[in-house]
Order: sequence, then structure tokens, then C-alpha cells
Amino acid sequence: MNDFSEIEDKLRKLRPVPPSADLMTRVERALAEARHGDSLHRGKRSTSTAGVLPREWRLHFNWLSLGLGLAAAAALVLFARIQFDRPVKKVPALASLTPAPQFSSTNSTAQFIPAGLTQVVYHTRDEGLHFPNNSEQPMRRVRSHTRETLRWRNPTTGASLRVSYPSEEVSLTPVSGQ
Amino acid sequence: MENVATDENWKTCFSQLAPGLVLFARQWARSSADAEDIVQEAFVRFWRKQHDIANRGLLYAAVRSIALDFLRRDNRRARRESTAASETDQIVQPMFEIEDESQRALVAALDLLPNEQREVLVMKIWNELTFAEIASALEISQNTAASRYRYALANLKKNLPPV
Repeated sequence: MNDFSEIEDKLRKLRPVPPSADLMTRVERALAEARHGDSLHRGKRSTSTAGVLPREWRLHFNWLSLGLGLAAAAALVLFARIQFDRPVKKVPALASLTPAPQFSSTNSTAQFIPAGLTQVVYHTRDEGLHFPNNSEQPMRRVRSHTRETLRWRNPTTGASLRVSYPSEEVSLTPVSGQ
Repeated sequence: MENVATDENWKTCFSQLAPGLVLFARQWARSSADAEDIVQEAFVRFWRKQHDIANRGLLYAAVRSIALDFLRRDNRRARRESTAASETDQIVQPMFEIEDESQRALVAALDLLPNEQREVLVMKIWNELTFAEIASALEISQNTAASRYRYALANLKKNLPPV
């Protein structure tokens, strides 16, 4: 026994208001619709067991993967282009993914050359477990906010150009429920 | 897995769990109807995925997750109605069947608890979850779950008027 046994007893005597009578009916209907949906999804491969799960969530997940993949590919292309255009010698710079270039004598006066790409992750938030549509298991959702800054510089005139934009990335990591 | 969704076993499970689940969902929902919608969605999703019903922590995590998503989706309306709802829900849609004044005082003291303490209390008292299951559902340590429970009881004791 502890000091709180009395208050625990009082709490246990409090009875929650029972759910409405039609909640069971609604759940029954929803389960029936779910089973019907499962059968439609499974088509001719349908079996009599209820153990096969609907897989429509994979479609959503694949779209997400596709989107993330495309974003990553675009970033790679952008990065590769900057690397390609950049002169050979590298000078490491703090918090910079692409170091400041050395300029060649072939640059014209009107030419801007890439001077660097910086990606700063300034906020990462763990949004906890989520169940994306019809997913089998919980997934941890982590949202990251970054700011990417691209810089160009004209070595002849000393003029510089900078483009900065925010970006947001959401990653879903499957978590075991056991 | 064991819990194949036949009519009999889901009804048995649901009838046992529903009152506690609805009470749990009420912490984020502004009405009983919303709480029931949340529980319905969570239970159907949980059952369809054939999670083991013994893994109650996962079921409560599902309810919590759906409730929080519901809150986010409905945030604008929730802000607009929060004042009215917080004032009227206790009268129009009580969470407990109150039998006497001491129980009324207890419910009032419950309302004063911080959310993180109240949710542990609800899971422990009215859903009879273990601290391990609570910890799993809330993604906290068992020690934290036990601490929150003790703090909740201490706060209740402090806030209750002397008999």
C-alpha cells in the first residue's frame, strides 16, 4: 500500500461515461467496409482468411518515396552542375559544401562562377509515432527545416550573387511495435 | 497472428476497451462524438493491421496519434471553439458518471492536472495499463510514466477539498 491508495480507490469508483450505443455499430460497419475493400484490392488472390492486409498504403508510401527521390535527384544534379562548372583546386570552407573556387584566366568579365552551396539544418523536430494511411506499423516522423544558399561570384568585377531558399524535409522511419 | 477479425472476438475486445479508449481520446477531443470518431478510426486501423490485441500500448499510441492528427487538422476550428467547448463540455458532455459531490470535486481536480499527468492517470486507472505499456504508448521511460502517475495522485490529493 502507499500514501495514495485512498485516492486511487476514489478514482476507480469514478465510472467513465459509456460510449454511445451506435459506436459498436459504426465500428462493425467500418470493419465490414474494410474487409470489402480488402477483397476488392486482393481480387482473384483473395482467400477466406482475414489475415491478408490491404496494401493501398504502399501506393501512398511509394509516392512519398518517389517525391523524396526526385528531390534528392534534383539536389544532386544541382550539386553536380556546380561541381562541374567549378575550377579544380579546392579550398575547404567552414559550413560550406562547395569550397571557394580558384579562378581561371578564361573567365570573361560578365561571367559568374559558382562560389559555394551551403545547407544549414536549423530545426529538426521529432513528431513522434504516426500511422500513415493504412500503414501496418507505426512510423517515426521527423521534420527538418533547412536553408540552402547558392553563391556565385564574378572574379573580375568582384560582384557576387546569392540565392537562398528554405526547404523542408519529412522522413518516415518504420518503428517496430514489439 | 491471433486476432483474426471475426465478429465475435472483435466485439468482445471492443466492448471491454471502448469506455477507457473513449475516455483516453476525450483528453484531446472536444466532444464525445469526436472522441468516438477517433477511437473508431484507431480501432479499425489497429484491427485491420492484425496487431496483437495484447499489445495495448500500440493501440493507445494509435488513438493518441490519430487524436493529435485530428487536433492539427481541426486546429482552426478548435481555437475558435476552445473557450466555449471547455466551458460547456463538462456540463453537457461529462466524462464521468458523477454520483455525489465528492466525485464532482474529484473530477474538477482531475481537470486541473497537467495533460501529461492526466493521460498517464487515465491509462493506469481506467484502462489498467501497466507502466511498461504506458511507457510504450507515450514513448517515455517506465520511470517517467511512474513519476507522472505519482505526481498526478499527489496533485489530486492536494487539490481535493478536505472531507
